[in-house]
Formats: sequence, C-alpha cells, structure tokens
Amino acid sequence: MKERLKLLSRAMQAVTVAVAIAGIVTGNLTWVPAAIIALLISFIPSILRRDLKITLPIELNFWIVLALFLHVVGGFSGFYDSIPGWDHLTHMMSSSLIGALGFVMVVIVDKYVKSIYLPRPFLAFFIVMFTMAMGVFWELMEFANDSLAHTQLQYGLDDTMVDLLFDGIAGFIVAIFGVQYLLRVSADHFVDSLHVDEAKDKVVDYLQKRRDSV
Amino acid sequence: MRTPEQMIEAELSWISSMVLFFATVYTVLKLDVLWAAFGIAAISLYVLPIISMRNPFRALPWEMTLLLAAPMLLHISSGSGAMLDHFESWHIADLALAFSLATIGFLLTVELRMYTDVRMNRPFGMFFVVMFTVGISGLWQVGEYIGDIVNDTNNLVSNRHVMMSFVWVLIGGALMGFVYDLYLKAMSEKRKRILGFIHLPEVPK
Repeated sequence: MKERLKLLSRAMQAVTVAVAIAGIVTGNLTWVPAAIIALLISFIPSILRRDLKITLPIELNFWIVLALFLHVVGGFSGFYDSIPGWDHLTHMMSSSLIGALGFVMVVIVDKYVKSIYLPRPFLAFFIVMFTMAMGVFWELMEFANDSLAHTQLQYGLDDTMVDLLFDGIAGFIVAIFGVQYLLRVSADHFVDSLHVDEAKDKVVDYLQKRRDSV
Repeated sequence: MRTPEQMIEAELSWISSMVLFFATVYTVLKLDVLWAAFGIAAISLYVLPIISMRNPFRALPWEMTLLLAAPMLLHISSGSGAMLDHFESWHIADLALAFSLATIGFLLTVELRMYTDVRMNRPFGMFFVVMFTVGISGLWQVGEYIGDIVNDTNNLVSNRHVMMSFVWVLIGGALMGFVYDLYLKAMSEKRKRILGFIHLPEVPK
C-alpha cells in the first residue's frame, strides 16, 4: 500500500513536469508557472526529510501531491470551465489538506509545549474550527485580491458559500480520520514517527555552530 | 462542599441568565429567526455544561452570561427609534453580528478551560478566541446561506456584504482575544478557583 502510494505520487509529479513542458512547447504559458510552483511545493516534504529528518505520514504526502496535481492538470486541461464543480473539488482537497496540517501542528504542540494539554475529543473540534477559519481567511484573501488588483477569483455569492460549505465538510472528514488515526497510532508514536526530535536537535546544532563561528 | 462564595457566584449566574433567556424569548416571539437561533445556541452553551456536569452550581460566571446577552440587546434596541436616530451610520446590524460571533468564540475558549481537561497558555488562548470566532462565523454564514435557499429569503444580500461581515468578525475576534487576556489577568486567583478555572499552570515568565 505504502509503496503504491509513493509510486502514484511520483507518477503525478511526472505528469506535472509533462504539463510544464507541454505548456512551454505549445506556447500555452498560462499554467506553466503554476505547474512549476506546484512541483516545487510537492518536493517540500522530501526536502524536509533530507535536511531536517522530519517525516510526514505517507498518506499526507500523497494527499499533498494529489491536491496539487488536480489543480494543475485541471487548470491546464480546462476542467475548471468544462467540468462543473471542479473548483469545489480542488477547493475541498486543499482545505482538507490545511485541516490535516493543522492537526499535525496541534499534536506536535500538545506534545512539546508543557503548558498546553489538548485531549482527543478536543482535537476533532479544533480541526473543524481550524479548517473553517482558514477557509474564511482564504475567501477574504480572494476578496482582497479582487478588490485591490481587480482580478476575478470569486465568481459570486453562491460560489463563495459553496466553497465554505465544502470547507466545513472537509473539516468534518479530516476530524473523523484524524481521530481514527490517533486511535490506531498513539499520539506519542505519531509524533515520534515525524522525527521532530531529530529536527530539533539539528536546528539546535546548527544554531550552536553559527554561534561558535561568530 | 459548596462554600458561600460558590453559592453567590452560582446565584448571580442564574439571575443574569434570565436576561439571556428573556432576550431569546423576545426574538422568538418576534419570529426573528437568525437572532432566535443565536439566542438558543447561547442558552444551550449555558445549559449544556451544567447538564453534563450534573451540577447547577458550576454555571458560567455571571459576566459571561451578560456578555452573551449583550449583542442580542444591542440588536433588539437597534430597532428602536432612539438608537436609529443617533447611530444610524454605525451599521449596528453588522456590529451586533460580529460582536455576537466574537462572544461565542470567547465563550467557547472560556468553557474549554472551565469544564474540560484542555489546558492552554495565554497566547494560545487568544489564538483560540480568534480562530473559534472566525470558524463559527464561517459556519454561521453557511447556515444563513442554506436558510436563504430553503426559505427563499435574501439575508446574505451579496458576496461583498458577506465578505465585509467577515472582516468585521475578524476585527471583533481580535479585540475579543485581548479581552480574554485582560479578563483572565483581572480575575483574582481566588475567584478562578471558585469558578473552576482549576488547572492554571499558566507558565509564569
């Protein structure tokens, strides 16, 4: 299963590269920057693993690549215009991703900050609220962009509200999965598997070395 | 087990909850659906901890209850002629909504501290107030949107209108975050113990 997910992630990255190349070759440059940026983002987990030894769960890794892939390929192939609801699908992908990253963040904070203790049922509540709040921030960002730079990121009231509705749904789904995940894998084990400790050591080492060299 | 101080706190809380109760009854009788929904949500947030603790003496502090009622009173009085004459340009409806949602965000954070095992330090508490406020406002607007479709009303007016109300909510939430900070600073240790803000390892810096 894990190997298959890894292979799929690589395949999707390859397709993203193909989109960038095809865009350049055919002179259809609109989606080339997006493809390149998506590719760079999709490598961030690998870079984190190499330099800081932080290892995100493979499922989360896959989800990141999938969200970027759907956005770029959908944009390049015109799915945003031709397939109804495509923008809501990608929106839901990205908001669930944000929810999942919020979840990882909170579990880490819970473990490493002594004055904070966040029991399990609270985590589910947190994820729903966090995803929703980020969704609202996202819409506000689009609105600000539209008002200041006169772009057209928001199509109208219905579109915005359906986006928010999907944010809520994504939040609930991630909350259910997140809590399920922690039932299978204990929170301590989960944080250990992220190798945050090693990352911390590395950063401390690095800072120490800089201080010594000054 | 119950000290006289606890009794007084609880009684004050019950008395002030009456304000919230009657404000809600008023909006229900006026068929003011949105505000009735808010009132019922606020009353549930008042009653639920009492039920789940099975202890009527562990009610919310009285000032929290009055704070919950305040945006409703603001809304109710915004219909009155005197208010409209003096503050028409203040967008009282927007302010009341932002205020009410920020109050709920504040309340949720306080309740987490009073009734659950959740422990948090101050900056995190402030972050929670803002996040809960914005998150709740998102859910609220989606609820209104669905209500608009089902009842064929037009409460949300336009995309711009909704976005501006989010901006107000964001400002309200940020202010409420500071209020939370001040509130906990202002409350004496003794009163915190009486009210059940028990776990207080706020790291002394």
